[in-house]
Amino acid sequence: MRGWRPALLIAWRDALRHRGRSALVLVMISLPVLAVSAAAVLIQTAEVSGTEGADRTLGAADARVRTEGGGQVVQGVDPSRGEYAQLEVDPDDPLTAADVRAVLGADARLVPIATGWQRARLGDRVVDFSTTGVDLGDPLAEGLFDLERGHLPGAPGEVVVNDAMLAKGFALGDEMQVGGSTLTIVGVGRDATVRKYPVVLGAPADLPDESVDRREWLVAAGPVSWAQVRELNAAGGIVTSRAVLADPPDVASMAEQMGYDTGRNEMAAIVALVIVMALIEVVLLAGPAFAVAARRHARTLALIAASGGTPAQARRVILGSGVVLGLVAAGLGLVAGVVAAWLLVPAVQRFNGEWFGPFELPWLYLLAIAVFGVLSAILAAVVPAWLASRQDVVAVLAGRRGDRRPRASTPVVGVVMLGVGIAASSYGALTSDSGNGALWIAGSAIVSVLGMVLVVPVVVSGVARVSGRLPLTARYAARDAARHRTRTVPAVAAVAATVAGVVALGIANASDERQNEMTYMPNAPMGTGVVSWGPGVLPGEQAPDPDEVWDRIEAAVRSAAPEVGFQPIRGLEESYDPEGWTSTNVEVPGQDQELCCLRTYGPSVAIADSAAELGIEGDTARRVDAALDDGLVVVLNGSVDGRRDAVLSQQTYREGVDEPAASSRQTVPAELVAWDQRAYGAAPASSIIPTATAAQLDLDVVVGSARLTGDLDAATSTRIKEAVEAVDGASLYVERGYQRPDEAVVILLVLGALGGVLMLGGTLTATFLALSDARPDLATLSAVGAAPRTRRRVAASYALVVGFVGAVLGAAVGFIPGVAISRPLTSGYGGFGPDGPFLDVPWLLIAVIVLALPLLTAAVVGMTARSRLPLVARLD
Amino acid sequence: MNAVVHLAAVSRVHGEGATEVHALRSVTFRAHPGELVAVMGPSGSGKSTLLTLAGGLDAPTTGSVWIEGTDLASLDNAGRARMRRTSVGYVFQDFNLIPALTAAENVALPRELDGEKGKVARRLALTALEEVGIADLADRFPDEMSGGQQQRVAIARAIVGERRLILADEPTGALDTDTGEEILRLLRARCDAGAAGVMVTHEARHAAWADRVVFLRDGVVVDETGADEPEALLAGEAGR
Repeated sequence: MRGWRPALLIAWRDALRHRGRSALVLVMISLPVLAVSAAAVLIQTAEVSGTEGADRTLGAADARVRTEGGGQVVQGVDPSRGEYAQLEVDPDDPLTAADVRAVLGADARLVPIATGWQRARLGDRVVDFSTTGVDLGDPLAEGLFDLERGHLPGAPGEVVVNDAMLAKGFALGDEMQVGGSTLTIVGVGRDATVRKYPVVLGAPADLPDESVDRREWLVAAGPVSWAQVRELNAAGGIVTSRAVLADPPDVASMAEQMGYDTGRNEMAAIVALVIVMALIEVVLLAGPAFAVAARRHARTLALIAASGGTPAQARRVILGSGVVLGLVAAGLGLVAGVVAAWLLVPAVQRFNGEWFGPFELPWLYLLAIAVFGVLSAILAAVVPAWLASRQDVVAVLAGRRGDRRPRASTPVVGVVMLGVGIAASSYGALTSDSGNGALWIAGSAIVSVLGMVLVVPVVVSGVARVSGRLPLTARYAARDAARHRTRTVPAVAAVAATVAGVVALGIANASDERQNEMTYMPNAPMGTGVVSWGPGVLPGEQAPDPDEVWDRIEAAVRSAAPEVGFQPIRGLEESYDPEGWTSTNVEVPGQDQELCCLRTYGPSVAIADSAAELGIEGDTARRVDAALDDGLVVVLNGSVDGRRDAVLSQQTYREGVDEPAASSRQTVPAELVAWDQRAYGAAPASSIIPTATAAQLDLDVVVGSARLTGDLDAATSTRIKEAVEAVDGASLYVERGYQRPDEAVVILLVLGALGGVLMLGGTLTATFLALSDARPDLATLSAVGAAPRTRRRVAASYALVVGFVGAVLGAAVGFIPGVAISRPLTSGYGGFGPDGPFLDVPWLLIAVIVLALPLLTAAVVGMTARSRLPLVARLD
Repeated sequence: MNAVVHLAAVSRVHGEGATEVHALRSVTFRAHPGELVAVMGPSGSGKSTLLTLAGGLDAPTTGSVWIEGTDLASLDNAGRARMRRTSVGYVFQDFNLIPALTAAENVALPRELDGEKGKVARRLALTALEEVGIADLADRFPDEMSGGQQQRVAIARAIVGERRLILADEPTGALDTDTGEEILRLLRARCDAGAAGVMVTHEARHAAWADRVVFLRDGVVVDETGADEPEALLAGEAGR
């Protein structure tokens, strides 16, 4: 430490003296520290772990025991977070209260608690909510619900609800019909866990668990040990124990207990890669500032060397500023991050369905983040420090400026690394099926970026060499950039690394989208619409008359858009009632129907007398029409044409029964027609029966959906949509082909914006450091008559050189992981359309990044740079 | 004959209040075509201030500066910059060449800044380099040249085009005696060809090349004579 004292002192004073440059480094390092530490604090706060969550699930109980039937259970420490699995289920021998007492002691008190889902009607809507049936008056249930208004359920049929239930339209004092009984809302308050979704709490008798096999108790039996938990597990109990949460035993994770591959190693490797990438970016962004600091110290260091100082002592002066600025930046970033997280908690809570825990600081993570900050500053100072310790003392003392020539071996190493990167990513792409492909590709990205950093000096020198014909300011900028490589290279590399990342992600995203587009299955002929309707009916309620509803829908469509064609599509009735689901199927015995996709809207068996009714076109339409004219049932299938016999059967699926009950079977002559999914999209129905044949067969025909034809532009379809949705349960779908989801566009925009910001950051740093470095040159320019705007032009040219060279290099390097990752991302996905892999290069994005962004940053720099030229100061 | 540069009762005050420094106090000064004027004086006497004011790099607190009949106060920043490109050439003690540009490009700088096409500017630059005798070094970078060569490039830059005022600030300060003499000979030749030269120097021997010596002390012209007896004027300084 003794050897470091003067170096740190110099660094500290220097940081104070050159506030602008120090601020630059502080921003570069403290911003990522701020962002990551704020995220860490928010995640820690949002996570309700261990004892913190115990009160929410347990209330005042010592444990909560649940069973889904007998049989061995494997569980983790906190099964309320889903850490459990039932290895075998024995529904006939469920865990009973007596079994629980046998383990936890005969005097254990068990309070039943039941959770489930229910629905209730509110006007013409049906509202879903979750239910908790428990005696809220019992001391063990204390903490599960925090009453704010009204009173807790006392009499049978009384329930309390949370605010989300009120937001659905219910009010204190309202009655609702749930599962055949009438419940009255007598209180409103806060559910311990759920915030956003409606919850109703009441007596277990009023809100029973739907599932027959499931039982659950809150238990008061003193601390429940891990051994007792294991014992209950053996009998089929899933146990959340307060004592276990408070002092977790050393248990292997669920996946490990189950013998699965946890994927933890791969995850850790990917996290490590992300951290390394972030470190590289931060180091590159902060690097130029240290390069300039090193040059400012060049004379001092030369004097130190001249008076016998060792290279190590020279290095320490520059490394010292890395240490000082890194510590300050990490500290500032950390404090700001914690404050930002604290300010953001309410906003983030609004987007989250569960209540957050108390504000919490993950000290270990924060420490790691701070270390990251300090480390990045020191790393950013390493190269300038090393170069400064090797500087040409004579040249510096004689006042000559500029870096040494680049070593010939450096770019060779860089090219080799780029080659290794390409090889590794190719290997990763080709072996992506076997698991570690993504890891290879991500690793190759880092190798490629590092290789690129080593190539940058040669490229920058090359640009300077060919700059002879450029206008004065551009020529000056290119040559000056090449002369001061320690300053230029990290900036160019930072821009390039950013661009490489954006291009790689852009290619991955575009290829993914291309796959989505190519494998898109249209649900109706392009440009046509489908109106569908399904009644929202609760058990015991009378379903509305379909014919009457469809008349209303047709009237609504006609009044909203008279010019649009409305074609009802008839089908066989498919009904859902409390007993089960009844549908009619047409099957060709011994014939695999091979039809991958059916339209989502409309009946599975359609009744029609022409192909046009269903919007079937082309050659297929002729064959369908011919068959329907002959009174044949048309069976659409993947590949086979020809006459067969088909079996028409009505089947009812009942809950809890695996095999459907066939209530009728008849054999009918049928025509198989091959359906070309690639040409026409999803089939309109699996089979089509002519009206007369349906009548002969005595089938119940109903309207299943309606086809809308004509000009369905955005305005028209919005009008129709509004009219149709006024009918309860009705909706409109218009086929517009593949629509890029908003998220994909948002991702691209975010990528572009992030790339832009980082690029601007890198370019601005390099440019303004270059300008401060170029003070003497600018003074000379002024003296020989440069107009004030020359400084701006120099600044803009400098930004252009840094931005453009970085963008071109980065885009080229970004192709390596981008193309590679698109392969595992877009292959091995069966279904409609070609198999892939798909590759799509977002040329527009790349053009914007490579051409437009550098020009934009140059313009920004040009406009923001001061135009006043400095005066020549003479040393006298 | 009209003076190329004319400082009329010029004062320059730096700072204010307790830190106020009077660099020049009501100095009147002229340089005519064909004339090389040496400005001498002890450190802090205002020599360099006089030069920066004459070149329009700085503006006087009171008084006015005229170059070729134009009052610099009537020009904006851009106008003064144009004046420096077209009428004034600077030569500095530290050469102040731009290391990122070759000799020819450094010399062509004022012309290029003036909007001259690259080729034309380069041709003019080569002519100027030829005049100072180093046309063969046109494509070298400053750090590939000796001090004397660099100063020749600086002089070439100061004379490129038809500029009629050369301001030289200790042009030989960083050079050995022989090289210094050559540089002075160049300056003298340029003035003989019709330019006006103003050279700040503290070496009496260099003042001998001048037609006239202006002696400054504490911002005031204490004497203005022919070049015959500069040593006598320096007696005061030598005694310090």
